[in-house]
Amino acid sequence: MKNRLKVLRAERNWSQADLAERLEVSRQSVNAIETGKFDPSLPLAFKLARLFESTIEEIFSDEN
Amino acid sequence: MESRFSNFVNRRFHRRSLVVMLLYVLALAVMSLAIDHLHLRGVGLVLLALLPALPIVAGIVVIAQYLSEQKDEFVRALLIESMLWGVGATLIVTTVWGALEKFAHIRAMSLFLVYPLCCVFVILARVVVKRRYR
Repeated sequence: MKNRLKVLRAERNWSQADLAERLEVSRQSVNAIETGKFDPSLPLAFKLARLFESTIEEIFSDEN
Repeated sequence: MESRFSNFVNRRFHRRSLVVMLLYVLALAVMSLAIDHLHLRGVGLVLLALLPALPIVAGIVVIAQYLSEQKDEFVRALLIESMLWGVGATLIVTTVWGALEKFAHIRAMSLFLVYPLCCVFVILARVVVKRRYR
């Protein structure tokens, strides 16, 4: 699944480690989600959306 | 960087897994010594033979506890994938070995080796799986 995490992170000048700390997950998790290797669960996707004050659809898209 | 809780859960899982492996070795040693010295038969022998299975049950409980305590879903997924590959590799190796034992008359593998072999394969799979997502 494609996502805009890298852009949203860059807009806030956050590193992967910063985002991981805010989400209470590992940096490896953020990297895997960001690179599209791992699709987050719905609760984690909602957490991301809340953190970026956005909607899930604005962060993730199901295009290949 | 992992959260402090996640780090704590990971460390506890590794510590418990190590203890379980040591208990398995200890249980095997105790069972072998007891069988050699006590010359048990029947129910007594069966009960003694169950001894090494206890650390295996404990190992399964340790994994189940880890999966329920680990809040990081990606880290959980890594362990599940590693276990899948580890158990798969163990099944393949033991099945092939069994066939070679029967048809090529190679040296028989002790069934006591299956559990440690599975642990080794899971550990190796964890290294490979983690590297893939680095």
